[in-house]
Amino acid sequence: MNYTWHFEAIWDYREVFFRAALVTAQITAGSLLIGLVLGLSLGMMRSSRIALLRWPATLYIEFFRSTPTLVQLVWIYYALPILSGVQMGNVTSLLVGLGLHCAAYLAEIFRAGIASIDRGQMDAAKAIGMRYLSAMRRIILPQAIRRMIPPFINELATLMKLTTLGSVLAVPELLHESENLINNIYRPLEVYTAVALAFAVIIFPIIYLSQHIERTVKARS
Amino acid sequence: MSENEPVIRVRGLQKFFGPLHVLRGIDLTVERGEVLVIIGPSGSGKSTLLRCINFLEEYDSGEVWFENALVGYRKKGNGRLVRDREANIARVRAQMGMVFQSFNLFPHKTVLENVTEGPIIVQQRKPEEARAIAQEILVKVGLADKSDVYPSRISGGQQQRAAIARALAMRPKAMLFDEPTSALDPELVGEVLDVIKRLAAEGMTMLVVTHEMSFAREVANRVFMMDEGAVVEEGSPSQIFGAPRQARTAEFLRRVIH
Repeated sequence: MNYTWHFEAIWDYREVFFRAALVTAQITAGSLLIGLVLGLSLGMMRSSRIALLRWPATLYIEFFRSTPTLVQLVWIYYALPILSGVQMGNVTSLLVGLGLHCAAYLAEIFRAGIASIDRGQMDAAKAIGMRYLSAMRRIILPQAIRRMIPPFINELATLMKLTTLGSVLAVPELLHESENLINNIYRPLEVYTAVALAFAVIIFPIIYLSQHIERTVKARS
Repeated sequence: MSENEPVIRVRGLQKFFGPLHVLRGIDLTVERGEVLVIIGPSGSGKSTLLRCINFLEEYDSGEVWFENALVGYRKKGNGRLVRDREANIARVRAQMGMVFQSFNLFPHKTVLENVTEGPIIVQQRKPEEARAIAQEILVKVGLADKSDVYPSRISGGQQQRAAIARALAMRPKAMLFDEPTSALDPELVGEVLDVIKRLAAEGMTMLVVTHEMSFAREVANRVFMMDEGAVVEEGSPSQIFGAPRQARTAEFLRRVIH
């Protein structure tokens, strides 16, 4: 091992990292938003007693959980336009693809959170004359959300790492911009190390926060 | 509606859990101001019967009437029963209080918030009005000093009294008690039974499932003995406890009264 590191080369190109990190953050936030809206609906559908709501949600969730994310992305980018004529740009494809993907996982977090609340809570709410949706909103969800926070934050960290798949679609996020940089300065070791560190710096506090919240929630109940 | 009309009427009630026939044709009537106590071994369908009466459990055949409303279903023109609208089911439930074996207080709300939840959300009373009602009822169940405390901070007996207060805050026309003291430590049973006895003395219409035989004897107007999904005997407390006619009742009482 006599490799001489030249991190100063990275420092000269720090603008590239900042710009790419911003794209990574935007993709994460955008697909999270899609995932939240769609995931909450899917999670409620899968918790429903009505089979016609339950099984389409189950089908969706299990499909997205059992196929590779990368395959889903390239399918949306390359196959969907041919089949449907809907041509989305690379950034939109990544946003939609990751959004649909994380909706499946978030739906499971919502479903499990709702299912973890004792059945007696819904009984008690109904017994005082509350209707299903208002019992959900006022009694079940406030309790369930506390338990959903730790797995939700883990999913957020996973989603942020999945944005690197955008490099395959040439989305200018961290990994793709790093590869471009390597082609210019021929410093793969330094650049890949910097990318890894950049993710660690963002994600470690998130995971730490999640564990902290998990401990507080446990201590309180 | 006349004052003499029964509050709860159950006719030929049947309920299956899969292949399990848990209620095999139950008939009972609870008159206004009456305390009807149901006893019987566990698994005899007592709790399921109570849960069918406020439709927390759907029943498969027979009818449950609350005053002049069929509970859970409505009759179509051709006489067939179809499931009633959720709003109607909720409206009937709001007029019956239910107290559960495991209390089921809302853990994220204080005692006071538990009690005001129904009046505010279901009856749409003003918060200050609901709080006034709640405070009055909390005094009655002996929890005036616990109103701002979360349920996890109080004893089981206090939690069950808070749950009774939550049901009473809806000003129900009848109360259903599903083994209200079975989850309590023995030394906490008395304080809950005292609250229920006081309600009985005030003329509240009640249907009580319990294993507390001396309480049943003291508070009941009539006692029903259930076994294997059917009512095997009914009578006055002195008759049921003093001179049971059915062998199964006698045997059950021998086992629970030591």
